[in-house]
Amino acid sequence: MSGRNLSKQEKYEAKRARRELEAGRRRQGRLVKRISLWAFVGVLVVGAVFGLANLGEVGSGGGAILMDAVAPSDWVKGNAVASVTLIEYSDFQCPACGTYYSLVQQLNEEFGDRIQFVYRHFPLRQIHANAELAARAAEAAGRQGKFWEMHDLIFENQRSWSDQSSAEDVFVSYAETLELNIKQFRSDIDDGEIKGKVSDDYSSGIRSGVDSTPTFFLNGVKIQNPRAYEEFRNVIEQALASNS
Amino acid sequence: MKNLEMSSSKLSPAIPKWLVWSFALLSFGGFLDAAYLTFKHYTGGTILCSIFSGCDIVTTSEYATILGVSVALLGAIYYLAVFILTIVHIDTGNEQVFYFAASITLLGFLASLWFVFLQIFIIKALCLYCILSAITSTTLFILGIYALRRKIRVMTE
Repeated sequence: MSGRNLSKQEKYEAKRARRELEAGRRRQGRLVKRISLWAFVGVLVVGAVFGLANLGEVGSGGGAILMDAVAPSDWVKGNAVASVTLIEYSDFQCPACGTYYSLVQQLNEEFGDRIQFVYRHFPLRQIHANAELAARAAEAAGRQGKFWEMHDLIFENQRSWSDQSSAEDVFVSYAETLELNIKQFRSDIDDGEIKGKVSDDYSSGIRSGVDSTPTFFLNGVKIQNPRAYEEFRNVIEQALASNS
Repeated sequence: MKNLEMSSSKLSPAIPKWLVWSFALLSFGGFLDAAYLTFKHYTGGTILCSIFSGCDIVTTSEYATILGVSVALLGAIYYLAVFILTIVHIDTGNEQVFYFAASITLLGFLASLWFVFLQIFIIKALCLYCILSAITSTTLFILGIYALRRKIRVMTE
């Protein structure tokens, strides 16, 4: 019953058993610690990877609603009474916009008689020094009836003026190519009304939740940017089918 | 002599905790940053021009890949390696593993120097996430030197 009755041998063994038990517990504790450490690290890394993957999708995701409907001041191409309207918020100096320019050209060739395409300015002034100027140059050409011609030239030659400190001279040379009145063009580029038009477009983009370029609204709803022409075509065809 | 040796091995203190944890934190942060750029690179197709950065210019440039592999992916692997090595040290207490992690920060630092040079002088555009990564890897390198100097001091004492 009591320790006094135990022999020396028994006492020794009991002590050893207790010590082993403790050591075992300590070993187990250490193992649990190690396993939890690595489990934590694993969850952290895997969670971060999945989180980032989703973040990328949400960031470029669609769904936002366009706040400003097509107005007379907008530059419209295609069929003005079409049931499907595609509005693009774009920055002439943004490389991605340059890539999408050729997709939109293709769309216009294929669907030009069935959709209406609208171009709105969204110059990212902080990162693209010449974007605003390019937008004003297109507007100035628009005053002489050649907005789309200038729009095309500006996008097609994006690389040749993007980093120029004298981009205005480049745009003037395009105006010459389009046989515009150069004096008029030069003064229109700095015209207050044209500056106002560009910043109005920009503010309307902000109102509709535009935070990157290009951003497309299909019948008033922001769409995720298609990654290839085929994808873009399918989106348009679906809209056409559901609106016919 | 014998006494000295004994006392030095006794005195050899463990690598300070703050150093180890800074390594773990910084390398994990760098991993997040580089992994984000990697996703952007492989899923973005054409990366959007966002209000917050000029990443589209830098990450779509010809310097964004080495032999077809995105440098962001290489960065992510590098940071993950430093992170895992640091965790192995925390787990096992093996100092050599930590010193190895400290020495490979030189690689990250040299790569960052090169990328910052490219961005400023060749591409002439800065990418926010890339600059963030440069700051992370430079800090890791400075901490790495500190750790290795400690090792040398402990060994020669």
